[in-house]
Amino acid sequence: MPSHLSRRIVDFLLKNPLLVLLLVIVVAVQLGTGSLLSWQNMRGILIDGAIIAIVAIPCAMLVIAGYIDLSVGSTLALGGVVAGMVMNGAQGSPPVAVLLAVLAGTCVGLFNAVLVCVCGFSSFITTLGTLTAVRGVAQLLSPLPKNSFGPDFGLLGVGTLAGVPISVWIAAVLFIVAALFLVRTPAGRHVYAIGVNREAAYLSGVKVRRIPFVLFMLSGAAAGLAGTVVVARLNSAPSGQLGIGFELAVLTAILLGGIALTGGEGTMFGVAVGVLFLGILNNSLVLLGVSSFWQSVASGLALIAAIALSAVVHRVRLALDARASRSVAAGAQVT
Amino acid sequence: MTVTVRNLTKRYGATLAIDDVSLEIRSGEIHALLGHNGAGKSTLIRCLGGGTAPSSGAIDIDGEPIQRYDPRESISRGIAVIYQHLSLIEGLSVADNLFLGQEITRAGVALDKREQHRRTRAALARVGSIAAPDTLVRDLSIGQRQLVEIAKALQRDAKLLVLDEPTAALSVAEADRLGELILDLRHQGMAILYVTHLLGEVAKLADQVTVLRNGRTVFHAPWSPAADKQRLVSVISDGAGPAHRRSRPSADVGPRFELVDVASPGLTPVSVTIAAGEVVALYGLMGAGRSRLLNTLFGRLERSGGDMRVDGQSVRIVSPASALAHGVALVPGDRQKEGLFASLPAIENTLIASMSKTSRVGMRNVQRERSVFDAIGELLSLRPHAPSLPAGRFSGGNQQKILLARWVNALSGIRVLLLDDPTQGVDVGARHEIYRVIAELAERQGLAVLVATNEPEEVMELAHRCLVMVKGRIVDEIDVAATSTDELLRAIHPDAATAA
Repeated sequence: MPSHLSRRIVDFLLKNPLLVLLLVIVVAVQLGTGSLLSWQNMRGILIDGAIIAIVAIPCAMLVIAGYIDLSVGSTLALGGVVAGMVMNGAQGSPPVAVLLAVLAGTCVGLFNAVLVCVCGFSSFITTLGTLTAVRGVAQLLSPLPKNSFGPDFGLLGVGTLAGVPISVWIAAVLFIVAALFLVRTPAGRHVYAIGVNREAAYLSGVKVRRIPFVLFMLSGAAAGLAGTVVVARLNSAPSGQLGIGFELAVLTAILLGGIALTGGEGTMFGVAVGVLFLGILNNSLVLLGVSSFWQSVASGLALIAAIALSAVVHRVRLALDARASRSVAAGAQVT
Repeated sequence: MTVTVRNLTKRYGATLAIDDVSLEIRSGEIHALLGHNGAGKSTLIRCLGGGTAPSSGAIDIDGEPIQRYDPRESISRGIAVIYQHLSLIEGLSVADNLFLGQEITRAGVALDKREQHRRTRAALARVGSIAAPDTLVRDLSIGQRQLVEIAKALQRDAKLLVLDEPTAALSVAEADRLGELILDLRHQGMAILYVTHLLGEVAKLADQVTVLRNGRTVFHAPWSPAADKQRLVSVISDGAGPAHRRSRPSADVGPRFELVDVASPGLTPVSVTIAAGEVVALYGLMGAGRSRLLNTLFGRLERSGGDMRVDGQSVRIVSPASALAHGVALVPGDRQKEGLFASLPAIENTLIASMSKTSRVGMRNVQRERSVFDAIGELLSLRPHAPSLPAGRFSGGNQQKILLARWVNALSGIRVLLLDDPTQGVDVGARHEIYRVIAELAERQGLAVLVATNEPEEVMELAHRCLVMVKGRIVDEIDVAATSTDELLRAIHPDAATAA
């Protein structure tokens, strides 16, 4: 029994090599600086991570289904700007601001969804286009930054519930709902099936258009929501700067989390680890006093290293599995 | 040149695709290779072409073994394999295809189109092709493409030409011309390995005959006419006759699936009635329209007219999803591309379309799913019975069982089952099991089954009735109980005179 348990632990770690690397970094940096795991520091990491996670969750599902959404950086900006316009000078109502921001994001998602799922355009090209176009829309709506949104709206950025920042609660709930959806509902399994073999899914009666259609809308909505959190934290909504490069941070976290760009593979747990890894890596570099230029170099190389590690571990696992299935098959032949 | 295959063995997981096969192909000889689907012919060809490496044994070229199994290596050693699905690039011209990777250049950079066209014309003339060098391959008929592929092999100085059922998609006249070309190439000293299951072709062309069954060589001899034909038939088919076939459903069983003048571009309108529990074969050559008809019935291709009825009710089928909703399912011909989710567990592959029928408040009922999977896995004797093993890891035969299970499990509610070439790439042992399973399911669940196939043995073993399809038209209906393999062969290939 202990050998069985240890085998399961080894198996688990082999499936999540990034988690091992993450633990190593956490221990090393904590021992080196003594401040990584302080609540104050972790709070910052978690809030930054939550903003990425909120968007990475639906985006990861799109990637599992074999699509991609690159427009989320600008959609985040649009959501932030819309919320900022409602709240400018602390005039409007925070719920209305959030609702309109999410609605604006959903509209971008709808636009992507129609072009990709109805017209059949490539999701890469379509969302690359909307990435640029929606940035322009945000800037047209609000050429000058809106600011001073008042304390009520500010709660969304800095407020806590039972000591945990509100955005972290949102991300945590979304993770649980998304994981349940992917694992426990038929539609969730269909997301994987579409990503593995779209034609076979179509011939099995799976709704190969409707599922990614909804996911694109969710991705837009999530980006709009993330936009409100960002501007609430900043207490300002600069349309030209919000969410610049955000889509790449989201994609990096997703890939770090073991979601295959080719589709059909990955879990929400992996995405959570990916988001945390990215946040802790960047934060550790700051704590270690690495200059910001070197931080970029390090985090870029870390992405490559982490993916190389996953690839190596993946191959080891395949070899082990193949050996296991050979013995299973041999057993089946004997009987 | 002499190519010697020595004790070649190829193992896929626990199955032996070929087992200790030896044969010799000499210059100026046509060596015919016969055997069922799954007998190991394709694996042997793939090894020759460098597409896969054998597990043990060797292939010698003039006594020198091939060291590296790689397509480029095979080509450079003079082996050209012409697969059934040709490997020309459709969007390129004939000349560009011929010189792909070996372009003729001036001063090492500029493409010398004139020289390429001149040589292309010469190569095409050798094979008797009328195609122009700058025609796109896409615009050529299958027969013309085949000639271009042979011209390409000649252009690359092939010494051994491997042809995989080259006449399967050809008209009778085209097949005749190809036969003459092959005899001509033999006179010029080419070594030829000719894969076929038409005995008429063997009689006309072969110098040597090898028969594979279950991955092993079961017959090898120089061809001598007369006496051999009868023997070959029995060697190939292993005496498997209609013995295991089920009795036909009794006449008072109502019609389950009715087609009334179902039309589609390229098909002459089809009218057929299939009873509950009846298995009907749709038998024809590649390209005869078998797959087209099945895909039309399944709503994957547009139907241009006619009526379809399931249990007397007229159904409107416009997409696979609507076909499934009316209880009509298709097991597609290309298992890997159109059927399987290779990296997903067997149980999800099986229940992909039925999961939602077990779910409560949107959540999957995992226990129910498992019991449905266990029941159908046992019925089909799925090996290994491993619900969480990725489908891609199963053998070909068991992958096919998983696809069958997708439509015949307790939740699927399927009444009409369309099967497109169900035993392609399935080894012999599993073939018989799949036949048994289909027959049993048809009987037990009262399914109407329509099977597209090009193998007469499959018709004999599986079907109650056989519709013969030639060039998009059903030309004949044959009662399987009162026919023979040879008669079936003649029906689709009028000139292929076989042992009568």
